[in-house]
Amino acid sequence: MVYVHGVEAMHDVLVIGAGCAGMRAAIEAHDAGANVGVISKLHPTRSHSGAAEGGINAALGNAAEDSPEKHAFDTVKGSDYIGDQDAIEIFTAEAPDDIYQLEHWGAVFSRNDQGKLAQRPFGAAGSPRTVYAADITGHVLIQVLYEQLQKRMVLGADRMKVYEEYFAWQLVINDGRCTGVVCWDLVRGGLKLITGKSVILATGGAGRIFRTTTNAYACTGDGMAMALRAGLPLKDMEFMQFHPTTLYPSGILLTEGCRGEGAYLINTNGERFMAKYAPNAMELASRDVVSRSETTEIEEGRGEKGCVFLDMRHLGAEKILTRLPGSRELAMTYAGVDPIYEPVPVRPGAHYHMGGIDADNDGKTAIDGLYAAGEVACISVHGANRLGGNSLMETIVFGRRSGRHAAEWALSSAGNGGRAPASVLTDAERELDKILSVQSGERPWQIRQDIGESMLENFGVFRRGEKMEAEVGILEGLRERFDKGVHVEDKGGVFNTDLTSAIELGYVLDLAQCMVQAGVARKESRGAHARPYDYPTRDDENFMHHSISTWNHEANAPVLSTKDVRVTKWEPMERKY
Amino acid sequence: MKVALKIWRYDSSTGQRALKEYEIDAPEEATLLDCLDIVKDKRDGSLSYRKSCRMMICGSCGMRMDGAAVLACKTGMYDIAQAGKIPVISAMGNLPIVKDLVVDMASFWEKMRSVEPWLQPGLDAATGKENIVSQAQMATVHKESLCINCGCCVSECNSLESDPDFTGPAALAKAMRFVGDPRDGNAIERLEKLSGQHGIWDCTRCYFCQERCPKGVDPRDAIAKLGAEAMKFGIDSDMGARHAKWFVTSARTTGWLRETELVPKTQGIVKSIKETKFALDLARKGKVPPPFPPHVAKNQKEARLLYKLVKEQGVSGAAGIVQAEKALGRIEFVKEAEHAKHEGASK
Repeated sequence: MVYVHGVEAMHDVLVIGAGCAGMRAAIEAHDAGANVGVISKLHPTRSHSGAAEGGINAALGNAAEDSPEKHAFDTVKGSDYIGDQDAIEIFTAEAPDDIYQLEHWGAVFSRNDQGKLAQRPFGAAGSPRTVYAADITGHVLIQVLYEQLQKRMVLGADRMKVYEEYFAWQLVINDGRCTGVVCWDLVRGGLKLITGKSVILATGGAGRIFRTTTNAYACTGDGMAMALRAGLPLKDMEFMQFHPTTLYPSGILLTEGCRGEGAYLINTNGERFMAKYAPNAMELASRDVVSRSETTEIEEGRGEKGCVFLDMRHLGAEKILTRLPGSRELAMTYAGVDPIYEPVPVRPGAHYHMGGIDADNDGKTAIDGLYAAGEVACISVHGANRLGGNSLMETIVFGRRSGRHAAEWALSSAGNGGRAPASVLTDAERELDKILSVQSGERPWQIRQDIGESMLENFGVFRRGEKMEAEVGILEGLRERFDKGVHVEDKGGVFNTDLTSAIELGYVLDLAQCMVQAGVARKESRGAHARPYDYPTRDDENFMHHSISTWNHEANAPVLSTKDVRVTKWEPMERKY
Repeated sequence: MKVALKIWRYDSSTGQRALKEYEIDAPEEATLLDCLDIVKDKRDGSLSYRKSCRMMICGSCGMRMDGAAVLACKTGMYDIAQAGKIPVISAMGNLPIVKDLVVDMASFWEKMRSVEPWLQPGLDAATGKENIVSQAQMATVHKESLCINCGCCVSECNSLESDPDFTGPAALAKAMRFVGDPRDGNAIERLEKLSGQHGIWDCTRCYFCQERCPKGVDPRDAIAKLGAEAMKFGIDSDMGARHAKWFVTSARTTGWLRETELVPKTQGIVKSIKETKFALDLARKGKVPPPFPPHVAKNQKEARLLYKLVKEQGVSGAAGIVQAEKALGRIEFVKEAEHAKHEGASK
């Protein structure tokens, strides 16, 4: 192999991941005076935030009366009461100004008749508060954030450097403090140590654990797994949101905005079945509720090929073509159905991971100098179930907050020093050689497929105690196969994605084990964790707490504990839509 | 279904290039990207290509199929496989190859940055409220804002092939996204810069970018819009601008293009005299009409009325082109809405 290992650079703040949260954090840290490095395994505009479609929630009150307080209540209720309420109040109070900032930076949002930002209704929201750009809101945000990043790259006095296509592999923890990351330079090859006085993880979610997912190939939970291995606690890992409308068979997302604009969900009898499950909110009930209703319909034989139907025909061509053009294109390309004329077969698919690295309201984690923001983090704003439109907003609010705090900490006397011992590179080299020295044996794809299939089967929308127990065993078996050493065929230094996808498989395996362990222990139904067969109701007395997963290196397995939920003013109530 | 692919492999460390054929089993709904995944998993793990969202939004998987740029995730393989074709897959053009189907996008992004792709100036600080802008005003940059930076247009650009420093369709479409944004305060400075060397007037109008863009950005139209905006502000000293202007003047006055006057009007008298021999050679071969009598349409009045009609609408610059695009059904949702209306009526 022809490549050079070495120390690439030192920064005040190092951001890992360049989706909405990472870029927002980098911009804020830069503007706070820090020298910023951004590492991303994809070019920033390729990040999966760009695939978000429907919108971003803030109580602007442009479409109807609204307030941050109402937004907070909807979010707490949506979280099934294990969202941390102080975090949620900060989130909804700061959201409007963050939206105005994005607009002033140039975001191409859709407008209402008065030329203000248009807002559409979304699931479980008491007011139409979802700001949007047709159905490509994430794309528009990624573009505007990258524009601002580029502005700082060009005009920012060398205080903004982006390492495109650098694959983050191991966090460097030195003297109880995070000081950088060892990564693999995808384009040129070679292990590189990049250091920061503070480090922000913003690597996104882990939908690829499940076979049917809306998530990109890149969503393999890298940040969470690196943090877990570095000793950090992960929080609420059992809560994976299944989005109600994903295409068959690809799992590609059709936005909740379709239903926001008035689309129906129907079964094979043509009935709007949500009338049975959520008579008031109908199709705009919370996502966990809609996904469960769909699954019930399908299991009771009123579906077709494991799908129900999203019916947009009555919206008319003009509305579909102006408000939902991207969804139409997706349905036509990947399902061969034009929603103007036909209902689209849809089913629930893994979409968003509410759990993540336990972080406080400034993104700070249990390790000094290490922060987390966006889907990789669990602050927790979303609790057991996230509301549509709240995740993009979370990336912006908490991306900004963590960027600000990481910069302030790095530039303070506490942040001084922050060196990484050269030994981390030699250690990593040894591990790399070990991976590449495997000359035969199982290729990673079979294990990857087995995780995806079994997790969907045993840890999906409805969860049974015995199936989850079985999944524990299945994952242990898969770990054995993985630990034997999978065969990476590509031994080269240039754009070796065979190597990086094998490493990603390890990340996925770690996280799946944490998820299932936490799921088995939560003997109740709450939000996205539904056990209709053995524990059909919520049990606030025993389970109104966060699950905490840490990694036991000797046992090579996760360990579970709990943590209190922070309540400010909303006592738990029954959740009806 | 059985799918066969020929893939141009390239190893930059050895400089070796080889066309390899692979045959795989794939589900009927498989896209080109799905097929590449199967090749990589089960046939040859060393195959390199970029991918991420697999839903036409991240822009990672631009490549060429049988010589034309496509997004691999947007390209269904069923019809191709059924027809028994074996498509040739290769890296995009106009960008250096890193490995197999992966190209070095550095120049793509450098050019993007050269148009200063951020809103200017001074509107950066949020003021506690949004700017008030109508949806109609924002429609001017609707298509340009759809760009996912996949590079398919750059891959196919003929001008770039002859002038690697040409700003190129993607960066110019991005420039239009700001020039046409009513919130941007720097349109004139932008247009002056874009009208310079390697800028908008160096496009050869081959329309390959437009044809190959997987997202309907229509980069060539964006370049035309930049030209129209430049003219609107009187930024017309470039030869390309003068050339375009003469078309209009000529058509307005005599209803037809007067070719013999085109060269002096575009290049100036002095330069044109140097071209006399070339012009005479062309004339001798019958490639240019004789200058006398001038090339004049039968009904000049009609041409003038048409010009007057357009002028009176007061829609100039890029907005004029957007209006024309709507009228011609070139904007997807307008065309489809019309179509659906007819479908509805006939049912």
